[in-house]
Amino acid sequence: METEEQLEKQQRERRNFLSCLGSAVACGAAAVMAGTVLSRATAAVRAAVTGGPTRPAIPGYDWTKHRWAFGVDATKCIGCLRCVEACKRENDVPADAHHFRTWVERYVYLEGEETARVDSQADPVNIAASGSEGEYRFADRYKDAKVEKAFFVPKLCNQCTNPACVQVCPTGATYRTEDGVVLIDHAYCIGCQYCVQACPYGARYFNAEKGVSDKCTWCYHRITKGLQPACVEVCPVGARIFGDREDPQSPINQFIRDNQVQVLKRETGNSPNVFYVGIDKEVS
Amino acid sequence: MPRHIIRLLLLMAAFGGAAYAAMAFFTADSFYKYGHYRGNSVAEIASDKPKYKGATYCDSCHAERFAEWSKGVHNRPDRGKVLVGCETCHGAAGGRDTTGMFQHAASGADHPNNLKLAVPAEPAKLCTHCHERIVGRPAQQPQIVVADHAGTQQCTVCHNAHSPRLGLVVAAAPASSRSDASVGKVKAVMCTGCHGADGVSENLPGPSLAGQKESYLVEALTAYSTGARSNPMMNAAAQAVSIEDSANIAAYFAGLKCESTLNHEKQVASAAQATVSKCIACHGANGISANRSWPNLVGLSKNYLIDALRAYREGARKNAIMAGIVSNLSDAHIEEAAAYYANTTCR
Repeated sequence: METEEQLEKQQRERRNFLSCLGSAVACGAAAVMAGTVLSRATAAVRAAVTGGPTRPAIPGYDWTKHRWAFGVDATKCIGCLRCVEACKRENDVPADAHHFRTWVERYVYLEGEETARVDSQADPVNIAASGSEGEYRFADRYKDAKVEKAFFVPKLCNQCTNPACVQVCPTGATYRTEDGVVLIDHAYCIGCQYCVQACPYGARYFNAEKGVSDKCTWCYHRITKGLQPACVEVCPVGARIFGDREDPQSPINQFIRDNQVQVLKRETGNSPNVFYVGIDKEVS
Repeated sequence: MPRHIIRLLLLMAAFGGAAYAAMAFFTADSFYKYGHYRGNSVAEIASDKPKYKGATYCDSCHAERFAEWSKGVHNRPDRGKVLVGCETCHGAAGGRDTTGMFQHAASGADHPNNLKLAVPAEPAKLCTHCHERIVGRPAQQPQIVVADHAGTQQCTVCHNAHSPRLGLVVAAAPASSRSDASVGKVKAVMCTGCHGADGVSENLPGPSLAGQKESYLVEALTAYSTGARSNPMMNAAAQAVSIEDSANIAAYFAGLKCESTLNHEKQVASAAQATVSKCIACHGANGISANRSWPNLVGLSKNYLIDALRAYREGARKNAIMAGIVSNLSDAHIEEAAAYYANTTCR
């Protein structure tokens, strides 16, 4: 049985504690808000004061004057996988078959089957046919089967206009440039792989050597120099098309004008920028 | 103002200051420059060195190959863009390349400073990446079933990798477009003694020349005059003939009529069909080949044919395609093949 004094003391201490807690929370919130506002303000002031270039220091290139896009003609692809190899050499992608920035899928409809059988160069059967993990080749599968329809579909990062991967990145390591390419800053990436999960197309992978997430960049280091991405350069049959949508005569604009094009997984709302011709109901 | 309010405000200011300091310390300088990311990384990524240089990079040192390639079917940018560039098969000319089939010095420098780009050791492994018949390849792509097409032969035995379509091969000595058969007829009078009037030789010392491929005749005359092919009579005769006359004489004989009459009575035994089928693929079942680069075999004597095949096998006559085909022919096979074509006469 406690005395009235003791009860009052308890009440007082309780109130003290709660008000301390409340003010601590209020202080914390205010601090964070103040800090954010202040640092943004100073950054803006600094930029305005220095009046420096408002575009990245890429010699001879103005990113406000380009809007890149990519086209894939699946009716032409022969599944030779030169693009996969070239991309790996150009971009130092880990050599084994399960790491890739671009890949090719094969869709095979056997007689009497409604759904396609899908494989890619990362399929164990195809790895075995190529002889080693560093070489890529599609095995001559299904040669004894009754095949109704079969075709190849090359795929790569769609460099979406509303990318899910950029939205989920906790550090701001991945971002979209003014010319429409989604890049990854390897210095800032912490390797949480949230973006790898978020991408609906499976275009991203984790590079364990560097401890960062990685993906196709449309060979940004080449296109800013007027070259084509490596995969487009080596494709022997012209299944890959690249160009600048700001240029009416560019190959990609001609491709989009001359064909009925579609994109993958339009319903996810990412607004992808790779346009496909010749894909099928099962390709997504 | 009440003291507790002042204390609160001071506390908030302290926290705010600490937060600002931390943010400024931990955030990179160029962050927020263009958006919620480190602005300098754009230029960093763009400054990477390209490794693939494109076919024209190779032209400056490899002009002959480049010319061969540009005229061949691996370079048809107009027709649905077929473009098998140099680097598609030889690997990237720039920087490091330590993956895949082609390995060369990881020096970071561009070819030629980082040594040679590999010439593919096994064409059959490389060419079949694109040309093997597999399910899914569109019909417009030329594709073969390897076992039926070439067995275990390498592709380059018959195909020039830089200009692969057969028949577009440039002959060793260019057939002159100014060659004049009527002039050739006059100059060829001295040939008829051994090669027969109208170029049809039956039992004369020299082989029939009527209807023979013009470029082959020019090549033969050139080879005799330089001594690459050795035959005392022909060496002397060829040296007496000028280059222009060679072209004219070749044009004359090429224009003469020769229709093969395969002598059915002397059909070769079925056992020899395997050997002969190899010859028929290029030289035709009746000894008249479909392609102007491959000589006719009609109207040649058995001994002449045996000598020729042996010369190819031993290397006395040099021809990349023939060398590959006859390299493992036994004497018995050679005789079978010769016997088959010796049955064809030219009329």
